[in-house]
Amino acid sequence: MTNVLLVAGSRPTRPTVLVDALTKLRDGGATVTLACDFDPSGLEIPADLAETRNIGEDGRSGGLVFRQLVRGAARPVQVWMRASHDPWVRRHARSAEILVALDNNAVHAVWQLAQRNRRADAVFGLTPALKALDDRRARPEPAKRSALPSAPSPAVLAGDAARRASAAARLAGMAATGRRAMTVSPVRSMWRVAAAAPGIPERRRAALALRLQGSMIKAGKPGAAMAMAERVVPKVTDARARAALLGPAVDRDLAAGRVPPTLRDVVKGELARAEALHTGSHPGQAPPVVGRALDLLFHRVLHYDRLSSPLSDDPAGFLAPLHDSAVGRRLAAANGRETPAEAPVGRPPRLLFLTGLNDNFLTPIRERYDAMPDVETRHLDMSPGTPVRSFLNNGRAKLIAHRLMGQSKYGQEAQQLFGPDMEWADTVFVDWCAVPAGLLSLIDPGTTRVVVRLHSFEAFTWWPHLVDFSRVDDMVFVSEHLRDLAVAAVPRLTGPGAPRLHVLTNAMDLRRYPAEKTPDARFTLGLVGIGAIAKDPRWALEVLRELRRADERYNLVLVGKEPSPDASAAAKEYCTAFERDLAELEGLGAVRRLGQRDDIPKVLTEVGVILSTSVRESFHCALVEGAASGAVPVVRDWPFFAGRAHSARTVFPDEWVVGTPAEAAQRILALTATDEAWRAAGQAAADHALATYDWDVVAPTYDPIFKP
Amino acid sequence: MERSATNLVHRSPDSTGSRPHVIYLAIGFPPAAKSSAYRMRETANQFAAAGWDVTVVTIRQESWEREYGLDHTLSAGVDPRITIVELPLERADLETDIRKFSAARSLRPRDWIYQQRQQSLKLFPEPVFGSWRPALEQAVLRLHRERPADLLVATCVPYVNLAATWRLWQEHRVPYVVDFRDGWSVDVINGGEAFTRDSVSGGWEAKLLGDAAAFWCVNEPIAEWYRERYPDVAPRVRVVRNGFDRDSIPAEPHRPDPGAGLTFGYLGALNLPLPLLKATLEGWHAARESEPLLAGARFEVRGHVGAGWAREDNPHMEALRAAAADGVTFGGPVPKAEVAQAYARWDALVLMVTGGRYMTSGKVYEFMAAGLPVVSAHEVEHDAATVLADYPLWAGPPAMDAAGLAHAFRLAAHKAVETSDADRAAARRTADRYARDTQLEPAVREVTELIRSGGATVSRQAAGEGHQ
Repeated sequence: MTNVLLVAGSRPTRPTVLVDALTKLRDGGATVTLACDFDPSGLEIPADLAETRNIGEDGRSGGLVFRQLVRGAARPVQVWMRASHDPWVRRHARSAEILVALDNNAVHAVWQLAQRNRRADAVFGLTPALKALDDRRARPEPAKRSALPSAPSPAVLAGDAARRASAAARLAGMAATGRRAMTVSPVRSMWRVAAAAPGIPERRRAALALRLQGSMIKAGKPGAAMAMAERVVPKVTDARARAALLGPAVDRDLAAGRVPPTLRDVVKGELARAEALHTGSHPGQAPPVVGRALDLLFHRVLHYDRLSSPLSDDPAGFLAPLHDSAVGRRLAAANGRETPAEAPVGRPPRLLFLTGLNDNFLTPIRERYDAMPDVETRHLDMSPGTPVRSFLNNGRAKLIAHRLMGQSKYGQEAQQLFGPDMEWADTVFVDWCAVPAGLLSLIDPGTTRVVVRLHSFEAFTWWPHLVDFSRVDDMVFVSEHLRDLAVAAVPRLTGPGAPRLHVLTNAMDLRRYPAEKTPDARFTLGLVGIGAIAKDPRWALEVLRELRRADERYNLVLVGKEPSPDASAAAKEYCTAFERDLAELEGLGAVRRLGQRDDIPKVLTEVGVILSTSVRESFHCALVEGAASGAVPVVRDWPFFAGRAHSARTVFPDEWVVGTPAEAAQRILALTATDEAWRAAGQAAADHALATYDWDVVAPTYDPIFKP
Repeated sequence: MERSATNLVHRSPDSTGSRPHVIYLAIGFPPAAKSSAYRMRETANQFAAAGWDVTVVTIRQESWEREYGLDHTLSAGVDPRITIVELPLERADLETDIRKFSAARSLRPRDWIYQQRQQSLKLFPEPVFGSWRPALEQAVLRLHRERPADLLVATCVPYVNLAATWRLWQEHRVPYVVDFRDGWSVDVINGGEAFTRDSVSGGWEAKLLGDAAAFWCVNEPIAEWYRERYPDVAPRVRVVRNGFDRDSIPAEPHRPDPGAGLTFGYLGALNLPLPLLKATLEGWHAARESEPLLAGARFEVRGHVGAGWAREDNPHMEALRAAAADGVTFGGPVPKAEVAQAYARWDALVLMVTGGRYMTSGKVYEFMAAGLPVVSAHEVEHDAATVLADYPLWAGPPAMDAAGLAHAFRLAAHKAVETSDADRAAARRTADRYARDTQLEPAVREVTELIRSGGATVSRQAAGEGHQ
């Protein structure tokens, strides 16, 4: 009779195979015991095949300390810890001639048991167990092994003692730095000082600080955790540890609508952690960490819900942690294309329009080329609700994974999705430099020319950083200052292999806006589009206050959806102040909110002065539509770009642009002083808008792109 | 045949010294119980018959115990003039003796294997076998030093053989033939490209094929893939189908006994997708319920299932065991010497095989030659279907769903009992052209003539100037 002990760390997923093997073991003369780190009753193993045991079923109540130790251990160690504390397992392991691990989680327990029973065979898997049984029956036990005692070696005993001592020390440490201890204020204070004390090796200091941080947060003391981290961080040089320690403070600041002073540190650390995961044994875990770094860099509080943006202030410096990182270099890797784009010969050019967000700015362009008899067009719409939208689900994570690994299933899906259309098209125009552009750049476009248009908001997102621009032939921007910003943020938009850069004015049909103004329009300011904080409607209220000091006939209409206070704490702060301002002015009848309207040409007949109050714009179509209607345009020198080579002043005539609310009021007072002056100024603006920005004028500038 | 368990070569006593010498890199050579062993055995035998002294390089026999085991009956058919060199290499990932594990491996078995593979990839772009590169390179260089080779033939997998092939070519300009079998850059399971030209694997493949005297693969779709991918190599691409071994086929056509209940058989490594196996078993269940001829019928599955610790303990095995009530049995592998007897017992065969247009499988030829009805459980666009197209006892078309397979099982049952002896004999004859020796003999003859004429050397010397 051969004693066989099987150890299962996970519930077997092949119960029939297990019963079949147990039958063969029994028929082969084995007495089988099965130790499971779970309740084995569900396995329905006949009693005559094996005696089963739920490991540690008597010892599961073996004390809080033991359970805490087990809980903190890796799964294979948990199996071993429970098995080593179970007298039933120890007894059967001592008498076993064959020890068998049934799964990966049981291998360590069997390895440990084999150190303590040096006579037994120790194998992984059922078939090897059957073979071991056959071998034992066919041949006597190897002489060398049979000479060994069925007991642990002195080395193992010494190791056990050391581990026990170390476990006791660990337990003491765990108790002193655990959640419960952190509920006591003097203990927190003591650790805050102790963790930053001089003389502690860096790795140990970082591990201690992270443990304390976790315990303090679990104890509901995040402030103490951050205070402790702030003291420790200057003494830690490892980027990953610094990021882990500073992360909660950064998250807190962003949640509070503030720009975190240590954002750069955390981004650097997270990118270093992602690189370590990518090049280590867990590459699959790298993309979410890259995602976390991108979430921080491009958080809406930094760029959308405040009136300034660190990216706009210093694009290269702000994004240096990304561009200088190994991960950043992987994301920026150029795969290029095998063959250059070719123009069609002997047949009409074929255009594919690809949209993923909306076609708000694309319709006139598409209609123009749809109507041309010598051009063939197709449209692939990936916007919400379309059948192919699902390709964009979780697109960022998939794009990151692909760019890190150099290949992925997502790349194959992109090939399947775009392949037939790319085969057909001579030129593909991707409106918005967002996820569809990144997805398209996963594939070699063959001989098709790829054109991508970047409007404005994308420059403040991660999307351009996930596009392989070596597969983009032409980039279209709607203004020079946006081109400058994009190039500064994404350096690979210039240099060898970069796409050609173009600035093409937005497509706008302005002919439907000129109309007779109402009698009161002269004193009515209009601001169309206030949904984003960047539109800064409070600036318009400042202008209105200035004007009303001179003449209370001036009033303001606000058109469009209002900014949402729910987007972030920063947005809420702005919206609260905006509502406070409005309450005062609305009470005086000086401001009217018209909400979302689809009859803008009619609304504009009541507007005598059209405002652009934004902190950033790529072009500001609503302002130009107002000017085309005959309203006097007053454009704030958009602060994101003011003073640079290209800004609002290079988009519009210089006299339209003002620096401050006072200057704005001055311009308005001057141009609306008389009805004649106001009408003349409005007419001049309308003439300029129609002659410069109307689609009839702009359209031919698109032809070199679409009909090369 | 002489076998060396060390790196030293023991030349055959029959060798005259005047015969040309070929080193054959054939990891999986008998007695390894692998499906590729048949092709390797025939290749070596054909070279020996064509007048070559053949030195086979493989790995030591004990290593195969971890995979599909050994079949010593396979070795009986190896030409006794062939010398076999066994290198002390093994697949550490398939080790099941926990006493040989380090503590680190015992704690994280999967991670340990992953790390090993990452290390392997640094040596050669093949995760499981890449670490064998230095040993293989040194082995062929030593063999060549001890007796200069006139030719090297490398059969893949493993692809790491290519590194040793290239080393010998680089250092000694020994002409070589690559028997790529299922190819490399073509993904025969899913179709399409397995890796790009600019990948590390792509670089290896391109340079190896660029200088190869000949390049063999197992079917026309794979050959076409390579002709298109490497137009310069196209004239040297040759289809050498797997074929069947004549000694694996019963001497007489089988005559069923419906009264005793029909027996369907499957023989081969069971590495098809699990859903396909489940659909086949469901189709079998449905056919058995609805077809009187299949009442009490048995479905006997023989072959290898899983490797390493998961040998005969994987989801496929669970599915087979769970189907016992439907007369499904699993009987383990069949030694080569007993293959003919297995076919002699069966009334019909079930061809369950993965892949698509680039996959043929070796079993299809043997199944045809056995002269039994064949149920096809695989993709419609599959090279096995191309081979079976004119086989009169094919219960096609192929199906992958339970309903379609149930229909095929019923059709096969009728063909089994209603086909005359004469028609069975005629069916067997359709496979004659696929006998393994018929496939390999001309290919080996071509290479032999090429080497004797010096054509390969001349062409490669010209090509080789570019490498100097």
